[in-house]
Amino acid sequence: MSDTTTVPVPPKPAAMRERPALLRLASMLWADKFAFAAALLLLAMIGCALVGPWLMGDAAGGQNLRARNAPPFDLSRGWLYVLGGDALGRPLLARIVVAAQNTLLIAAGAVACSMIIGTTLGLVAGYRGGWTGEVIMRLADVIMSFPSLLLAVIVLYMLAPSVANLVLVLAITRIPIYLRTTRAEVLEVRERMFVQAAIVMGASTPRIVFRHILPVILPTLLTIATLDFAFVMLAESALSFLGIGIQAPEITWGLMVSQGRQYLTSAWWLAFWPGLAIILTTMSLNLLSGWMRVALDPTQRWRLEIGGKRNG
Amino acid sequence: MQRMIGKRAVSSLISLVGLVVLVFFLSRLTGDPAALYLPIDASEEMRQNFREIHGLNDPLLVQFGRYIGDLAVLDFGESIRKARPAIEVVLEGFAWTLQLALITMTLVTLAAVVLGSLAAFRVGSLFDRLASMLSLIGASAPDFWIAIVAIVVFSVGLGWVPTSGTGTVWHWILPIAVLFIRPFGLIVQVVRGAMLTALGSAYVKTARAKGVRNRPIIFVHTLRNAMLPVITVIGDQAAALLNGAVVVETIFGFPGVGKLMIDSILQRDFNVILAAIMVTALAIFVMNLLIDIAYALLDPRIRT
Amino acid sequence: MTPRSLITGLLLASAAAVPGLAQEGRDVTIVLGEEVDLVEPCMATRSNIGRIVLQNISETLTELDVRGDGGVMPRLAESWEQVDDNTWRFNLRQGVAFSDGSAFDAEDVKHSFERAQSPEITCEISRYYEGIEITPTVVDAHTIDFRTEPAQPILPLMLSLLTIVPSETPMEFTREPIGTGPYALAEWNPGQNIRLERRDDYWGEQPEVTGANYLFRTDEAVRAAMVQAGEADIAPSISAIEATDPAMDKPYPNSETTYLRIDHSVAPLDDIRVRQALNLAVDREAFIGTILAEGTEIATAIVPPTTIGWNSEITPPPYDLERARALLEEAKADGVPVDSEILLVGRTGNFPGATELYEALQAMLSEAGFNIRLQMVEVAEHEQYYSKPYVDDRGPILVGAQHDNSRGDPVFSMFFKYDSEGRQSGIADARADELIAAATAATGDEREQLWSELFAYLHDEVVADVLLFHMVGFARVGPEVEFEPTIATNSQLQLAEIGLK
Repeated sequence: MSDTTTVPVPPKPAAMRERPALLRLASMLWADKFAFAAALLLLAMIGCALVGPWLMGDAAGGQNLRARNAPPFDLSRGWLYVLGGDALGRPLLARIVVAAQNTLLIAAGAVACSMIIGTTLGLVAGYRGGWTGEVIMRLADVIMSFPSLLLAVIVLYMLAPSVANLVLVLAITRIPIYLRTTRAEVLEVRERMFVQAAIVMGASTPRIVFRHILPVILPTLLTIATLDFAFVMLAESALSFLGIGIQAPEITWGLMVSQGRQYLTSAWWLAFWPGLAIILTTMSLNLLSGWMRVALDPTQRWRLEIGGKRNG
Repeated sequence: MQRMIGKRAVSSLISLVGLVVLVFFLSRLTGDPAALYLPIDASEEMRQNFREIHGLNDPLLVQFGRYIGDLAVLDFGESIRKARPAIEVVLEGFAWTLQLALITMTLVTLAAVVLGSLAAFRVGSLFDRLASMLSLIGASAPDFWIAIVAIVVFSVGLGWVPTSGTGTVWHWILPIAVLFIRPFGLIVQVVRGAMLTALGSAYVKTARAKGVRNRPIIFVHTLRNAMLPVITVIGDQAAALLNGAVVVETIFGFPGVGKLMIDSILQRDFNVILAAIMVTALAIFVMNLLIDIAYALLDPRIRT
Repeated sequence: MTPRSLITGLLLASAAAVPGLAQEGRDVTIVLGEEVDLVEPCMATRSNIGRIVLQNISETLTELDVRGDGGVMPRLAESWEQVDDNTWRFNLRQGVAFSDGSAFDAEDVKHSFERAQSPEITCEISRYYEGIEITPTVVDAHTIDFRTEPAQPILPLMLSLLTIVPSETPMEFTREPIGTGPYALAEWNPGQNIRLERRDDYWGEQPEVTGANYLFRTDEAVRAAMVQAGEADIAPSISAIEATDPAMDKPYPNSETTYLRIDHSVAPLDDIRVRQALNLAVDREAFIGTILAEGTEIATAIVPPTTIGWNSEITPPPYDLERARALLEEAKADGVPVDSEILLVGRTGNFPGATELYEALQAMLSEAGFNIRLQMVEVAEHEQYYSKPYVDDRGPILVGAQHDNSRGDPVFSMFFKYDSEGRQSGIADARADELIAAATAATGDEREQLWSELFAYLHDEVVADVLLFHMVGFARVGPEVEFEPTIATNSQLQLAEIGLK
């Protein structure tokens, strides 16, 4: 990344088409203002996750009963309290920033694991079929019918309630959706002309699967994955509410949402801001994945490039 | 088709047995029901007596053998908490859950397919942006927020519908409305995405190039092609509802299977957990079978 | 439905239609937080069951006066006397009928007692008679003797927990409870509602309320909203956070006491200076009116102030960080490992604001120099920490817990929480054991004296635990009924005490 920005680009008259890839990507991003805002927001969130605990860890833990449930948009207590204070008078802004780390770690971990495992199994089940496929599909049935709470109780009761174990629980419960979606699509895509043609031409199985089938399925999987981000964060919140999973004094947005629940009718901001953070993250991811769908599709890319010229 | 169903019945039965074995042994690793059922200062003697009555003192394998033996004559055991046959308790709750899931998913499917397709046809338009935005908010907002705010506004404030409970048609409105939002948001997104992919695919373009200007025809063909992932996601969401809509059940006092499951897991009421899992698993297996049949109907090339 | 009840039903329906007659009385709707799994009289000491069953469906021989200072009052027993040290004689009320029509007599009492003690079912009441050999003997139809070994000076109080069922009741949990109370179970739709109806042939005064419909909602906000929307008349327990309307929301001491149980067997908590420092480091005042409701009282004993033997001379430890730090330094100088990590275990959702309370405690204790790790757990895991047998290779542990005693006598708490053999006891102290045994066997002033002494000993000399608060609950009462919650509202809710406006 640093390479592309530090290496001086010799000025060329027809630079438009030969711009470095990153710059071209950035201009395509700029073309879609929503996606651009989403990317900025996500970068900010990732920034929070990386340096948040170090930057605001003390502020997020400092209790001050005088600022208990302090209302938002009141700057008299300092800018940290712009989103209000929680039930122990800790500034919500600082807590949200600090909580980003655990939250994004859990959500990204769970979504990535379930997507990779689910997609792989789905590709196998759809492309190979036969007994292997049958076994995989019935396994998915079993996971789908296994209550996630029971799984959580079992895992977190026998192991400690750590971030890694929580990722494990959440990832397992989300595997079937990717698995079933992938398989259903594979069943259809493998019958299409270009895949059949590739088979006839003697392409290897991995090549067919990864070069021809996967790219067709990926957009749908990404749509699901972005929304699963929200689902995983809220599932984690529900587990915390029941006393399993991440617990205070650790913080995640999900935990903040579940702790704010009892104040919903008296101090709405306790549950609202972390909830909003979840919504915004999900929306940004979704907008970005929508943009990626266009940007990565050679037949659609022109839309953004034209837009880029006009705006640039 | 019949062969497929027969084959599926056999393999599903095997996975059901696997599920039961898994749940039976794993759930028993999570603690002693005596500690949870009896008052905190009950004596060791009382605990011992309790375990004796409920057969918890025997070795695990003996307990398992007895359970399977009873199961063979359709005896699912007694609920420790409720002192009633476990299956009776579960079926009572499941009847409610099934109704709730059916109604909600029907509404969701209809609404999401229409809205998602419209958004895909007018990609980039204000309507598309708005529909996407709202459905995304719906899909990612905490459901208890929506539930409590709905109660405060529509029941306490406006007095249009009862806060909670069962009894009349009016009682169903809020729970269904709250339950509707998340799957709706998710499925709108998936429909929109799948429709975009399908619209971009070669044959739709061919059809358009050949001068098929008839929108309904394009719509139907595209939709048909886009339905595969949509049906899969509908299935996933329906499965989640069949497992119980916990938040809605707790907030609206709806006697479904979700809260029953949570309570029995937290209280280690093993027989109820097992019975509930068997019933919901059966429903989910049947639903997945129906989905696979739907694939084959939608696209005859598919061999499942 | 029998023809007769059909006619009664029709009459009632037509009566309700005539405005003038409708004022005769009406049903009330009560919304509870926890569903009942059973409506079994011998489980009535469990609070969710007791609120429906106790004194509504099933009555007891005696009753503790929680509204006045009457002490133990007659209910199904008209009077009682101590025949000798080990024997109590109860004279039973005559002309009392069960809701199935059968007459109430001494055999029913004997059967009720034996049923509660039976090993064939696990009745919760029986734990209150643990370790005592009690033999009921029927003297005549309306007189019964209870012989106890050892002597039980408070047997009449203990019998206020024994619900009376007919002698035909089988030794298994019943789903159709029969009792002598003013109401009978009319309808039960599991998961939805339970309805009680007033009996015409009740022996005592007819209560005003004709029937009660119980609904169950887990969410506090919904319970509060239901009363506000007029869908329920009474929500006996809503959280302080929801209790924002002084016209409807009535505070009451809910007989729960929160405390941190200290395990004295593990260093550094075996050192009294460390335990004193723990106590001094907690700013109890700061919690009241903030995280906990206004009206919450600072505890100096594990039982509420309405309990006999309450020692008003004990003063709660002041908030004194300096002294706490000094004590820790002193202990450290003597080689006590005050730096070791102490685990503070709390239960999620134990009471409204539980997590906040424990987080604040952690901050306060850390401020004083303790190395505290907070862990919030669900009920099953909490029980593992709270009750014996404790795990072997444990480190120093503080267990945050809540204890409920609205029964008027410390005997229902002290053995379990402080005797060397007690299941949740963190101490093993010979003098405490002695005092508990002596007080349990004593009567009258001597009993009060001994309990007082025990409270002072535990609080000031042993520094047994970190006592925190006597908690406050809130009942939301709708505008159309009159109801004053009491310290017993957690465990019972007598429909006869509800008035109509």
